[in-house]
Amino acid sequence: MRNTMKVAKWEIMRNMKSKSFLIGMFLTPIIFLAFLLVPQLFAGSDDEGASSTVYVNDELGVFAEMEALVARAGVDWKVVQTDRPESEAQELLAENDDAAYVLITEEALQSGTVTVHTNDDTNTSLASEVQLLGVPLQERQIEAMGLTSEQAVALAQGIVFEEVTEEAAGVDDMASGEDAAFLERIVPGAFAAVVLLSIVFTGMAIFTSASQEKKDKIAEIILSSLTPGELMQGKILGYFVLGIIQLIVFVVLVLPVLVWRTDVPILEYLLVPELMLLLLIAVLGYWLYASIFVGIGATMADMSTAGNFQGFVMMLPFSPFIFVGPVFADPSGIWAQIGSYIPFTSPGVLILRLSLLEEWPWVEIIIATAILIVSGWICMKLAGKIFKTGILLYGKNATPGEILKWLRA
Amino acid sequence: METMLKVEGLKKAFKDKTILSGISFEVKKGEIMALLGPNGAGKSTTIRNIMGIMYPDAGSIAFEGRQEKEIPRDRIGYLPEERGLYKNVKVMDILLYLADLKNYPKDKAKQRALAYLEKFGLEGKDKVNVEELSKGMGQKVQFIASILHEPELLILDEPFSGLDPVSQELFKDEIRSLADNGTAILLSSHQMNLVEEMADRLFLIHRGQQVIYGPLADVKKQYANFKCTILGANSHEQLASLPDVERVIRQGDKDVLYLSKDVQPALWMRNMPPELDIQEFSIDRISLHEIFIDIATDRNLLKEGREEHA
Repeated sequence: MRNTMKVAKWEIMRNMKSKSFLIGMFLTPIIFLAFLLVPQLFAGSDDEGASSTVYVNDELGVFAEMEALVARAGVDWKVVQTDRPESEAQELLAENDDAAYVLITEEALQSGTVTVHTNDDTNTSLASEVQLLGVPLQERQIEAMGLTSEQAVALAQGIVFEEVTEEAAGVDDMASGEDAAFLERIVPGAFAAVVLLSIVFTGMAIFTSASQEKKDKIAEIILSSLTPGELMQGKILGYFVLGIIQLIVFVVLVLPVLVWRTDVPILEYLLVPELMLLLLIAVLGYWLYASIFVGIGATMADMSTAGNFQGFVMMLPFSPFIFVGPVFADPSGIWAQIGSYIPFTSPGVLILRLSLLEEWPWVEIIIATAILIVSGWICMKLAGKIFKTGILLYGKNATPGEILKWLRA
Repeated sequence: METMLKVEGLKKAFKDKTILSGISFEVKKGEIMALLGPNGAGKSTTIRNIMGIMYPDAGSIAFEGRQEKEIPRDRIGYLPEERGLYKNVKVMDILLYLADLKNYPKDKAKQRALAYLEKFGLEGKDKVNVEELSKGMGQKVQFIASILHEPELLILDEPFSGLDPVSQELFKDEIRSLADNGTAILLSSHQMNLVEEMADRLFLIHRGQQVIYGPLADVKKQYANFKCTILGANSHEQLASLPDVERVIRQGDKDVLYLSKDVQPALWMRNMPPELDIQEFSIDRISLHEIFIDIATDRNLLKEGREEHA
């Protein structure tokens, strides 16, 4: 165990000192952020050129006051007078990218409620910001009314702008509730998927590392100090830690930006007990893939001479993608279950399913996790056998036949 | 002298092919024991079995008399035949890592590494990347790595391959001084001249079997008969008919006469027939190199000698 730690420490230090690793570590989140933010930046600058428009059909003649108010408030939207009736509101909105429509009538003034028409393209903040337009109406209310007790109450009511989007109001309410619940499940799942992907990608470096050991012909020197098993486990552990380090850098750089740029309460959704199980699945998945990579890596002289067989193995972490379609269609369907029980696809499929499902199928989760643990253990034992022989086979690729022979030995 | 390593009845086969058929030898503290043999004789296999990189089919390997299962890896220094270093790391980093794997204290390792780098003309190379080293420099770093942790047993598989004569001398001196300080050294090599100069004892292996085993001086006395090289116009029959001549081999314009074991060189020379044409004349013992070639090419020169004197 002590030697395993030494190897792990060495692999971590060696990579942390290598420029390519460091560049990759910081570049990945930066590229990710760039993809995330650059379109938003462009969108933002578009907004400035042609900012949101609020169409006002003013039957009361308060438009001039509204315009002055909006100009004073310094908001990034403008008011435009229109005489199109309320029935044409959606048409009008459809013609514009980001717009809202308000109809100012005598009834609205009486009831104190002005309907704001928006559609999907409307900036979400616009609907609330139009509350600003209530001020001149309120003034008009006071002006128009005498000060009977009734009127005082009406005044106290204030004026509320009510948003109506294209969808029917009732459905809308439910949908937004479901949206939140969906996000609540998908955020930990997405995080676990990022963890899995990140450490699996780092784990692929094990592959190179194991074949490098052969290429540099240092394996025999190292093996004069420790056992092949210790060397292999040290590598698996070392690259796991490297993956985690990479992930931490990623999270530290990306998460604050995500929290800042989106309205989703990511941290609240992320830090839930369910995350632990998802992370466990991700770690088990890494363990399985890392064992396979380290074993196969030991059979190859270098990456460029990888045969079909090795290339196929490299594709294993991507195998869950086969199930993405069926799982999305039916997260508890037969394909989803099959995917959960095949060790290679299980981590990806499980994380996806658990993110989609409201009720977790605990029995399936337990069986799938057990399969994952057992197959991870078997793979590590088998990889140990391959590694022991393969690592000393300098300058030569092992054939599948040879690998089979070592496994039997 | 205390025995550091004892190998007994070591057997190893790959599939049906026997690589080692029951070899036994010892390495004592403070001696250089040479393991010799042609390519494919089983030298590296023997060493890998000692190092626990392979497992023998039969036989035992004991360190310092103890028949423990666990190989005392941190007390052994090993320089394999096929060797290299991680490329993208600094020289000092890898030296310290390898010493750490041997549980050697870091401070001491660093001190010794710097001293050795200086000794081998690599001063200031400790912060250089391994990939920037020349092949010879790399060899030196590997050698330093194998002795940095002050091993009690040092196993060197072809340490001189790829070295220039100056570096060879450097290695030779260092190995000798390690032995003088009590390190047990098992050395495998093809360079017979170097082995002849350095080894205290030797073990010659061919096709997985022991051919010769013993102190170098004894081996030379026992196996290395005298040979006489004559330059001159003499017929094969004439030379073959001389007393104590076992064989005559023509090499270019010279004749090499292999003499029988008990020949007294002074007496034998006095009995040279006067009609012999002698332009040049030399007499010496068969060198280790010749014995080696002889075995490697199955010329039976030695076998005859052995059978006769068995």
